[in-house]
This record gives sequence, structure tokens and C-alpha cells, in this order.
Amino acid sequence: MAEEAKFCCLRCGAEFLLPYTPGVTEERTCPNCGSNSVRRKKDK
Amino acid sequence: MADVGRHPRIELLAYSEVDNVTGYVGNFTVTVRKKARYVDVAECTACGDCEDVCPVTAPDEFEIGLATRKAIYQPFPQAVPSAYVLNIDECLGNNPIACGKCLEACDKDCIDYDDEDELVDIEVGTILVCVGMDVYDPTTLDEFGYTRYENVITSLEFERLINSGGPTRGHLIRMTDREQPRTVAFIQCVGSRDASRGNPYCSNFCCMNTVKDCLLIKDHYPDVDIKVFYMDIRAFGKGFEDLFQRSKEAGTVYIRGIPGEIEEDPETKSLRLYVETTTEGGVNCHEVDMAVLSVGAVPKRDSDMIQRLLTLQRSQDGFFLEAHPKLKPVDAATQGIFFAGCAESPKDIKDSVTQASAAVGRANRLMMQGEVKVEAITSTVIPDLCKSCGICVKVCPYNAISCDTKAKTPAVVVEAACAGCGACSAECPFGAITMKHFTDSQIDAQIDAMLSDNPQDKVLAFACNWCSYSGADLAGTNRFQYPANVRLIRTMCSGRVDKRFVLRAFAMGAPIVLVSGCHFADCHYINAVHWTQRRVEKLWDELEKKGIRPERLQLEWISAAEGQKFATVMRAVEELRQKVTRDEIEHTRKVLADVLEPTGVVA
Ligand SMILES: Cc1cc2nc3c(=O)[nH]c(=O)nc-3n(C[C@H](O)[C@H](O)[C@H](O)COP(=O)(O)OP(=O)(O)OC[C@H]3O[C@@H](n4cnc5c(N)ncnc54)[C@H](O)[C@@H]3O)c2cc1C
Ligand code: SF4
Ligand code: SF4
Ligand SMILES: [Zn+2]
Repeated sequence: MAEEAKFCCLRCGAEFLLPYTPGVTEERTCPNCGSNSVRRKKDK
Repeated sequence: MADVGRHPRIELLAYSEVDNVTGYVGNFTVTVRKKARYVDVAECTACGDCEDVCPVTAPDEFEIGLATRKAIYQPFPQAVPSAYVLNIDECLGNNPIACGKCLEACDKDCIDYDDEDELVDIEVGTILVCVGMDVYDPTTLDEFGYTRYENVITSLEFERLINSGGPTRGHLIRMTDREQPRTVAFIQCVGSRDASRGNPYCSNFCCMNTVKDCLLIKDHYPDVDIKVFYMDIRAFGKGFEDLFQRSKEAGTVYIRGIPGEIEEDPETKSLRLYVETTTEGGVNCHEVDMAVLSVGAVPKRDSDMIQRLLTLQRSQDGFFLEAHPKLKPVDAATQGIFFAGCAESPKDIKDSVTQASAAVGRANRLMMQGEVKVEAITSTVIPDLCKSCGICVKVCPYNAISCDTKAKTPAVVVEAACAGCGACSAECPFGAITMKHFTDSQIDAQIDAMLSDNPQDKVLAFACNWCSYSGADLAGTNRFQYPANVRLIRTMCSGRVDKRFVLRAFAMGAPIVLVSGCHFADCHYINAVHWTQRRVEKLWDELEKKGIRPERLQLEWISAAEGQKFATVMRAVEELRQKVTRDEIEHTRKVLADVLEPTGVVA
């Protein structure tokens, strides 16, 4: 199983988990609005 | 194969591997490792005297372990060249000589225990990738008991079993008692058409292979009962439906349903298949003497290495991706490289040969011309600005740039290999690469012109030529409504969208900037689109640090067929624009004012 990380959508603001492997660039889509402006939330 | 071996203009390098590939269309240098055979090919007459005396036995790979071979052996009967090869890892006779029997037996003195791998460089103009496929390993599908029950075999093992040149000389036997089975079951789609238990795709050849095998069995052993368990029989090729009907007429029973479990009778070693079928209804038990798992195709297990050597693309299923599914079905995206056979997707022999003929034709067409037309839009290094950091070398999806980072000489672009994506230009930290016809100053001028008056009312969108710009065209021709204040700047690839362009647009007062490109699988430039995403992700962080809302930079993948999505995205970003306040825009302009100052670089 790939690791998961928290992402947020910069169009609709939804937050969700998606598979994430450090260093791997993948096409991501917001499950709420379908936008690709999906940004990984980094722990502060 | 023999014809190929004899052909005066074909050099066959058997028992060899490609170690490295450099260069570009018309000028590839391929480094081939000719593996040590320990047998002099020119002298060996394949008499087999060495094999007779060799004391070591090992599983025969060609017979998939259904037979054994010696440590010195001929890979398969029709092998070209017709010569022996010694597996040094299995041989007892090497260093110090402990056995040496083959050495004594060989009249021709062919055997040389000190043989070594040889690296040869070959200059070629074009390359055909026809490495085939591997087959799915059904061991993980526990319910079928493969490797647990000897009488469960794969279709590939069955191929060898019924081959007249195979380990039983073509006699159908089952493994446990070497007797002819009375009932044989075939289970279709093992590892195919099921994403959760194998691969989602259809492997194309397995249905017809089973139909062929059933006809073969019925031809030689009419009394053998055959049951085929299937989801659908895909018999769509020329003459295939006819073969399917003939196999039914010959007595093969086709049962719609895939067994959920196979059990072995510990005494008779016969198999019980439990299956829920649509043809019979309910769960039924079928007792058979042997079961053949019709295993699907998987990409060649060393595909990563081949992909890296030749800068190729792969589709989601892992097979090599053609440049265009309809217009360039045998071309790779990298010029001068072509595909044939199962390397590109699972297919039968006829389609493999058809594709191979097409690939050879495409390669010949290039080579007959003797010269290639390079792309009009290519990158150029400005030597005075280059700091020889080598970043562009890593970025280029086509390996078109070289740079000696130690000697600190400026990077060099091979124009014949450059496809013109512009990713290098966008990633160069020193602005040392420019793109012909899409120079920085040309793009800057477009940004400035589009945002020269009332920028707060505009949405500035970068769109790649092949996908999102074509998506915009489609939206237009289909009359899909989208806001009229969207201003599009076309680049060949979204990978060309330099961070500087985005910051410039914000500095000019853009409320929203959209970067749009191809979906990853459609990227016209292998994987240049990955650089777009990484750059935008970094920009989101940078904007946030500067107190600018990252939401103002949007990223979308829109294909040429997604006119509807283009219009939807434009409406969504316009909604976002309306939420950007004038104060925000003013603040951004101040924070980014230095972006507009001339750099002295005219690229
Ligand atoms: C069980 C089974 C049954 C089938 N039955 C049928 C059938 O009845 N009829 C039919 O039409 N099709 C059948 N097929 C499909 C058929 O096998 C393929 O269509 C055909 O083999 C494809 O040819 P190819 O040249 O693409 O690949 P392959 O035949 O796999 O040839 C690829 C070659 O490349 C070599 N190679 C691989 N990697 C490298 C490397 N890195 N360097 C150098 N050489 C390399 C391999 O050793 C191999 O010799 C069957 C397939 C399977 C698995
Ligand atoms: S990225 Fe720019 S500076 Fe670095 S080597 Fe390439 S051209 Fe030169
Ligand atoms: S434009 Fe693209 S293909 Fe050409 S050298 Fe730069 S990165 Fe490579
Ligand atoms: Zn969303």
C-alpha cells in the first residue's frame, strides 16, 4: 500500500487524503470539485 | 531466424544485452555487452559431445522447467547461431579446473573458461524496440493452487507440453503420473481484466490461444473432455470466430464463470473446480485431471532500464507508449525509435508482425532520406549566462542536453534531439536557455499586453499547444460558454511556463493566473509536464511566504478532447477572480515590483 498524505484543493478548499510517495510526481484531482490545483498540506 | 542469421546485411548479436545508448536520431551509439559464452561460436558445430559428458543438470529455461539441460547447452533447438553456451555459474570446471570434461570432449577446442564479456559500440541511425513481454505469475492467486498442485499449469507451460519439439515430444500428459489426462480445464483471464487481482487490461491473445489448444487436443485426442471457464471469449480477428465455432463443434464445452477455488484430491491428484456460472446457475463442482491457467501478458520486467536508456514513455499499464495512438502508432516520442510487438501492448503474432513491418518501414523512410528535419522550436543555450550547473541535463526528457559540470563548459543542446518543450528553459536558474519562437521576451510582451489595462478584470491562462489550447479550440467550436475576460497565452508545453512568467503576471496586476497543460499520460513531451507540476507546487510555497494567497495560482490538466472541462475550469477561475480584492492585487504588485525590473538578459 502506498503511503497517504493530506492534500487540500486550492479551488474549493476541500481537504482529503491521497496516495503519496515522496519524490514522485503524480497527477492529482480533487475528489470534491475535480480541480487539479491540489496542494499537499505540510505539517507545520 | 536462420534467414536472419544468414542475411548479409543483418548483424545478429545473440546472447547480448544493451548496456548504454547515447546520441540521437541518425547518430545513436549503442553499447552492447556480448556476454561471455565460453564457447567459440565460429568453431562450434553443435555436435553436442560436450553436453553428453557434462555432469551438471539444471532446469531448462526454454522448457520453463519442464525439462532439464546441462551446464553447457544449446539454448533451444532452432537457436541462431547454432552453437553451445556455457553457464559459468553452474559449471564445476572453472577456476580452478575441477571438472574440465567438456574441454576434453570437444574435438574442436571450442571451450575457453577464460572468456570474458565484451563491450562493443555500434553506430546506428534508428532503433526498434521489440523486447516482447513477460507473462503474469499466477502464484499470488492462491485459489488456483498454482505451484501447490502439480496438475495446475500455465498456458505457457502447456505450450511447451504439446509442442512436438517439447519435453514430451508433444504427448499430452499430466504432471503427477505422466498419464494422458481424460479431462482438461482451461481457466481464462488469469491476471487479466481484473485490477484487484492482476491487471485491468485484456491480454488480447489468450482466448484464441485456448481455442487453438482445444482444437489441437481434440485433433490428437478426441476422447479428452475439455471445459473452458471464461468471462467472455474475444474472437474478433479474421477467421477467429470460425475457429471458436469449430472448437465448440469438436466438443469443447465453454462455461461462463471463473472458478473461485481449486482443490486437489490427495489420492488421485485430480482437481475439483468450484465455480459459480451464468450458464449453469449456482455453484458447481467440476472434476478434472489437469487445469491450465490462461495467463495474461505483463510488461517486460526490465522495462524501467529500457525506458531510461532510450528516454521512452510508458502507458499506465506499463507497456511502452507510442507517440500517437492513431497517427504514429509505431513511433516513440523520441525521434528515430520505433516499437513492434508486445513491447507496445499485448498482441498476437499476426499483429506483432504487422507492427514490425510498419516499424521497419518508418525506420527505412527516415534512413533513406539520409537527413532529418529538426523541430523549428528548439532550445538554445546562451553560453555567457550558463554556469554549467547541469540542471537542464536532468530536466530534458529527451536527453538532448549535455553539460560537463566539472570542466565548467557551457551546456550544449543537440537540436536534432530537442523536441522543443521548453522545460529546460523554464528550469534554468540563470536564464541561460531560450526557446526559438517562444523567447522569454516574446512571452513577457504578451503578458504585458494582456494586462496593460484593467488587469484586475482579467484571468491570465497559460495553455499548452497540444492539449489545453486545443481544448479551448474545441470549447469554441462547440459553442461552450466561458467568460470573455480569459486571456490565453500559448506555449508548446506547460513545462515552458517559467516561474518568472507567473510572477510577472502577478506583478502586472493579474488577480488569477492559470497554468494548464496535458494530463500526465498525454504529455506530448514524455514527462515535461511533471516539471510543470513541481514548479507550480514550489510557486505555491513561494507565494504563500510572500503573503500572496496560493489559491490565486491555479493548475489544471485539460486534454484536447475536454472542451467542456476547459469551459468549466474557466468559469471556476472567473469565480475565484471575483473574490480577489483590489487591496490584495495592490499588495502583490508592491511585493513583486522587482520582478518587472529589467534584468539585462535579452532572451
Ligand atoms: C502462453 C502464450 C500463448 C500464445 N499463443 C499464441 C498463439 O497461439 N498465436 C499467436 O498469434 N500468438 C500467441 N501468443 C502471443 C505471442 O507470443 C506474441 O504475439 C509474440 O511472441 C510477440 O512477439 P514479440 O516479438 O513482440 O515478443 P517476443 O516473442 O516475446 O520476443 C521478444 C524477444 O526479445 C528478447 N529480449 C527481451 N528483452 C531483451 C533485451 N533487453 N535485450 C535483447 N533482447 C531482449 C527476448 O528474449 C525475445 O526473444 C501467445 C503468448 C503466450 C504468452
Ligand atoms: S541549467 Fe542553465 S546554467 Fe545550468 S547547465 Fe543548463 S543552461 Fe547552464
Ligand atoms: S526544450 Fe525540452 S527537449 Fe529541448 S532541450 Fe530543452 S528540455 Fe530538452
Ligand atoms: Zn476541489
